[in-house]
Amino acid sequence: MNKIVLKNVRPFVNGKFESPTTMNLADGKWVKEDLTDATVFDAGGALALPALFGLGLDFKEPLRDDIYDFKDGVDAMRRGGFYGGLYESSDNAIDDSRKLSAIKQISSFAGFAFSFLGAFSVGYKCKELTEMIELAEEGAVGFGDGNQDATRTRFLRLAMEYGSMTGKRFFFMPLDESLRHHGLVHEGHYADTLGMKGIPRVAETIAAFRILEMARFLKVPVHFKQVSCGETLKLIENAREQGVDVTCDVDIYHLLLDDSCLFNLDSHCNVVMPFRSASDKEALWQGLKSGTVNAISVNHDPVLRQDKEVNFEDAVPGAISLEIALPALWKPLVEKLGDARALELLSFAPAKIAHAESSDLSLGSKANLVLFNDKEETVVAPSLFAGQVRNCPLLGQTLSGKIKGSYLGGLWTEV
Amino acid sequence: MSALEIKHLFGLRGVSKQDIRLILDHAKQFREVLERPVKKVPSLRGMTVVNLFFENSTRTRTSFELAEKRLSADTVNFTSSNSSVKKGETLVDTLRNIEAMKIDIVVVRHKGTGVPKFLADNSKAIIVNAGDGAHEHPTQALLDMLTVEEKLGTLEGKNVTIVGDIRHSRVARSNLWGMTTMGAHVTLCGPSTLVPRNTELMSSVTWESDVKKAVKNADAIIALRLQKERMDDALLPSMREYRNTFGITHELLECAKDKVLIMHPGPINRGVELDSEIADGENSVILNQVTNGVAVRMAVLYLLAGGRAHE
Repeated sequence: MNKIVLKNVRPFVNGKFESPTTMNLADGKWVKEDLTDATVFDAGGALALPALFGLGLDFKEPLRDDIYDFKDGVDAMRRGGFYGGLYESSDNAIDDSRKLSAIKQISSFAGFAFSFLGAFSVGYKCKELTEMIELAEEGAVGFGDGNQDATRTRFLRLAMEYGSMTGKRFFFMPLDESLRHHGLVHEGHYADTLGMKGIPRVAETIAAFRILEMARFLKVPVHFKQVSCGETLKLIENAREQGVDVTCDVDIYHLLLDDSCLFNLDSHCNVVMPFRSASDKEALWQGLKSGTVNAISVNHDPVLRQDKEVNFEDAVPGAISLEIALPALWKPLVEKLGDARALELLSFAPAKIAHAESSDLSLGSKANLVLFNDKEETVVAPSLFAGQVRNCPLLGQTLSGKIKGSYLGGLWTEV
Repeated sequence: MSALEIKHLFGLRGVSKQDIRLILDHAKQFREVLERPVKKVPSLRGMTVVNLFFENSTRTRTSFELAEKRLSADTVNFTSSNSSVKKGETLVDTLRNIEAMKIDIVVVRHKGTGVPKFLADNSKAIIVNAGDGAHEHPTQALLDMLTVEEKLGTLEGKNVTIVGDIRHSRVARSNLWGMTTMGAHVTLCGPSTLVPRNTELMSSVTWESDVKKAVKNADAIIALRLQKERMDDALLPSMREYRNTFGITHELLECAKDKVLIMHPGPINRGVELDSEIADGENSVILNQVTNGVAVRMAVLYLLAGGRAHE
């Protein structure tokens, strides 16, 4: 633990930013008393935001720790101001309680709040059910598909029916694999012009509809990860009207990019859920505004440099975002939705979905915060990223705002 | 000699009319060279061209190789089946290793869209696209354009109809960009499962589902090769129905102009996209296309190399 005095800082308290003040931070708390032997940092009027919570973390450890591990991931969280996240790895299915116990141990970094999704099928293969009751007892906050094909409908029914005994939520990335049919990009005029196989919107809506119908039938709560088109949001709204307990998130990059980026054929834009059209991007923003979308996800998915330094179609899909999520999104979020809603979407709501403690700031309470100067700029350079990866679609761009530091788990990190 | 605006040839989308004109004019000159007893010029003497083919190809590779030899370049053929790619080497490493052997031009064919641009971004060599996925096959379109000009005098105002598997065809894409740039009117026709659904960016062409209407005013018809695997993928029920509905047959040509040119990028599935009597008939210019392919590739290589031997 270290002590830090942040001078000239504007903390977000009770739903608004306060006037510039001094924050004394010690032992992971915002304390009233003056601190001796503390490091003093002049924040220059920067904002002190409650630290963020990331939905969709995949740090690859243990099976692919050649790519990335929890140490790298926690480093990225410090750089980006995230105090916790919902973890689900496509390479490491948490499909029994021993694996969950082991990964909880690996991830036990002081002060960080990780929640875990168990797999509902062994190896995400949708052939054998996992021991969901034991997984829930060990602490799984829900059950996920590992962003892999979950379109075997009878298995889906059985998994949700069995899992309903735990009361946990089921998490899906809705994508019908047979309609995807080796597609990598949105089926639209850019894909057609480039002669690339596309993924139609109906690949998402058909999968979503099937899951929603099953959720309605079985009365099981569900969550959709990385919704990418407006039609899915309409299905969600309709399902909610019929009493289905459904939450959803949108990916950070789907709010910033659309399929016009395909013309650059930048392999960093090869991601798991494809960037869709400009009108879809607009529909997602509308979904944030209307409240249909509950949260913004980060889907931090590290890919080795050599697996991205290939042509678009041969690249391994995936993008990292923890380090740049805040400067990339803060300005458009605040301009369109206001600062309170921005923090709701990046911090409080994701934590709620993951059943994690919230990072509200108040004097005398536990303090996890990120210091952010919205007047400065961030150049997205490779040195910004933790570990050996840099698979960020915004590489080379200049973003509004700059993270100056984070105070997480009682440790101050100047960025 | 005028210089090309482009430094590489990735495709014809966005290539200026002036550049295409320059290539076609030079191709006409090289076409004459091909009629001489000694079909060789010293234009690329001292330059090395690597033919980097990651997909099977007989006629395009042979055509490029002949073009290179007739320009007096040193040529090296590299195919994925006999290369380090089989041992897991990445595309960039393969290129960098070849480049370290001091080569000047790379002719590349690959299943991935955008591979030529990717190689150009990672290399100092001049890159020529010999086909990238379903994206573009620019030299095929250029030879098609040369053939139309050779037979009809100009592309300006001519009606060119392309029939077949437009969705998966790099030939169709390059032709629609190139031909429309040169003032031709392009009509595309094919089964609904084999045409793109989103055509906003291709608004300069006409889409026609009725093949009889599509060929009615055509000055040239390009029949595309139908890949047999389209049937396995349930995109079509049978070759038979395709031939009866979209095949270029004698009966269909009764709806077209008498002198309509019949073209095909080859190899032909006789009796599927093109009946034998049409492929070998008096309207067919398919073998002219093959000859023009060498001339066009000579022009492209010569101009991209800067035409230095003639300076």
